[in-house]
Amino acid sequence: MLLRRPAPRFASLILVLPLAAGACSAMAADLVVSAAASLKEAFGEIGRDFDAAHAGIRVVLNVAASDVLLKQIEQGAPADVFASADESTMDRAVAAALVEPATRRDFAGNTLVLVVGRDVVAPKALDELPGAVYAHIAIGNPQSVPAGRYAKQALVDAKLWDALAPALVPTENVRQALDYVARGEAQAGFVYATDAALAKDNVRVALTVPTATPVRYPIAIVTGASHAPAARDFVAFVASPAGQAVLARYGFGRVP
Amino acid sequence: MRLEVDLAKRLAAGAREFRLDVRFASEADVTILFGPSGAGKTLTLHAIAGLLRPDRGEILLDGGALFSSAQRVDVPARRRGIGFVFQDYALFPHLTVWDNVAFSLPRKGRRADPTVTALLDEFELAECAGAYPHELSGGQRQRVALARALAAKPRLLLLDEPFAALDAPLRARMRAELLRLRARSGIPMVLITHDPEDVSALGGAVIRLVDGRVAGA
Amino acid sequence: MAGDALTPLVLTLKVAVLATLLAAFAGVACARALGRRRSFARDVGESLLTLPLVLPPTVLGYYLLVLLGRRGPIGAWLDAHFGVRLIFTWQGAVLAAAIAAFPLILRASRAAFLAVDAELENAARTLGLGEGAVFLRVTLPLAWRGVLAGALLAFARALGEFGATLMVAGNLPGRTQTLSLAIYDAVMAGDDARAETLVLVSLGVAIVVLVLAARLLQGNARAA
Repeated sequence: MLLRRPAPRFASLILVLPLAAGACSAMAADLVVSAAASLKEAFGEIGRDFDAAHAGIRVVLNVAASDVLLKQIEQGAPADVFASADESTMDRAVAAALVEPATRRDFAGNTLVLVVGRDVVAPKALDELPGAVYAHIAIGNPQSVPAGRYAKQALVDAKLWDALAPALVPTENVRQALDYVARGEAQAGFVYATDAALAKDNVRVALTVPTATPVRYPIAIVTGASHAPAARDFVAFVASPAGQAVLARYGFGRVP
Repeated sequence: MRLEVDLAKRLAAGAREFRLDVRFASEADVTILFGPSGAGKTLTLHAIAGLLRPDRGEILLDGGALFSSAQRVDVPARRRGIGFVFQDYALFPHLTVWDNVAFSLPRKGRRADPTVTALLDEFELAECAGAYPHELSGGQRQRVALARALAAKPRLLLLDEPFAALDAPLRARMRAELLRLRARSGIPMVLITHDPEDVSALGGAVIRLVDGRVAGA
Repeated sequence: MAGDALTPLVLTLKVAVLATLLAAFAGVACARALGRRRSFARDVGESLLTLPLVLPPTVLGYYLLVLLGRRGPIGAWLDAHFGVRLIFTWQGAVLAAAIAAFPLILRASRAAFLAVDAELENAARTLGLGEGAVFLRVTLPLAWRGVLAGALLAFARALGEFGATLMVAGNLPGRTQTLSLAIYDAVMAGDDARAETLVLVSLGVAIVVLVLAARLLQGNARAA
């Protein structure tokens, strides 16, 4: 059953309602997987493969920025599995006893890249970013998006964070950053290599952004998950050669 | 003045239909449209004023066309120079008596126009110049409506049942007023009534309307 | 820590007031254009103009982003001819809120204009006024309470606008982060203290608006 949770604050309940409403109509065999935004397509395919191999279980994929997912789980959202885009979010989950620490494992890696719109000149280094050419630079909101945190760390390390602050457009998740660049509203943006691959027609990768910590994706089973055995099977499937092959197809790397 | 009216209009409300087919001419100072309710008198008056567009026909005032379907003429109400006193007076509730009467005058000098002063005096409204319509009696409201229409110096005055809302003594008094007005101003009038006493008191040409058509004279 | 509540408050008021003025101007003009006569074409027109009211705000925001963005038909034109860009700006937020609020003023105004006695407008015509003057000197002065009620509703709507604003103007602190966006931001970041402060500020603004509305609409009702 649910262990100690902080009492839901009124303002935060808006996060839980959509998920709870969905859960009320869920059948007994729905497995809710909360996954970081960048995992949307890969986990979509993995979910379908898992469904095909496991009769009686249906994967319900819930995608958002990692911190948002954590907040939902914190407020009691009925997720069974949690996959985040960085270790720090998972660390917080473990610290709050929201996931079972023994089930935590890393399953993929990624690269942070700087993309530019199709009509935009690609900078050869990060320090070419300040200036009039890149009037709007999309970045996931560092307060709630791991990709934004990686990018912020890289910019702080390169001593460019303050200079670029007026041009930065914080987004709700990494996909929104990609969309703004694809649409031409932002000239450049920080996304994962896997995201850039999805929008090949509208964005170009300008350079790979070195991150202080490698981009690693951990996955764990949520404490008190309603379908623990199925959750365990899902995590195992993600780590299996079949699951890893799907991830590789979308551009994810092996665990760094 | 010579007024020639020849108009046809079809009005439909759901399944019910009303056909107006009015033809008459008058050179009298006072022309009375007489008939029972629903005969089409108000519609005819609205058409003469330019507030209702006939389906076909023509309306001529002193030979000039106000409306002619054949010649594709339809002079808008604001340019016909025809004053209208409505059945419910249609006084502007948000304006004082003064502002109501002065409504048609140009903005410059509207505050102190001598025309307005003269009209208010003539109709004994000087004391309530600053009052609002809802503060006036029925008789006062009618006089304001008259004064307002006259301030625009119309060449023809239309009155829709001007005495209907008044009690008998007031009605007699207002008929006398109207006769005096006609004598003084020389403005021809067309008025609607269903009261035969108005007809005998005011004289003039009488056009009887029944069911949308002119009955035998 | 509660943080800065003044900046989003000032920005929200600025955006909401300008959006309401813009929506009021457009709403009154369209209500007047729709006029008194009812016809199939006019009813369709009114329905189309009411669309922003029934569209989910994010759908509205999406369409605005597509139309007003750099590559969108209107956005590209504005950029080419006036150098005007609306995405990620408070002006874009004003436009998004204005479009969301517009149907409220449109419907309230149309109802208010229709309620004005047609005979009064006719009287004005016989006194020599053109249609524009009839509207300004008779219809509008008699309908202003209904229009104002619509404008207050529109203001409340603009104050709370979120979905469309987020898409079009972005969530840029100090520049386009209105109270609603700031609350959302604080919740996402786990800063419940700040969220609660901002919620109270929003509540305060809403109460002030409602009290003002009640007083303005009562006034000394003259016979209208």
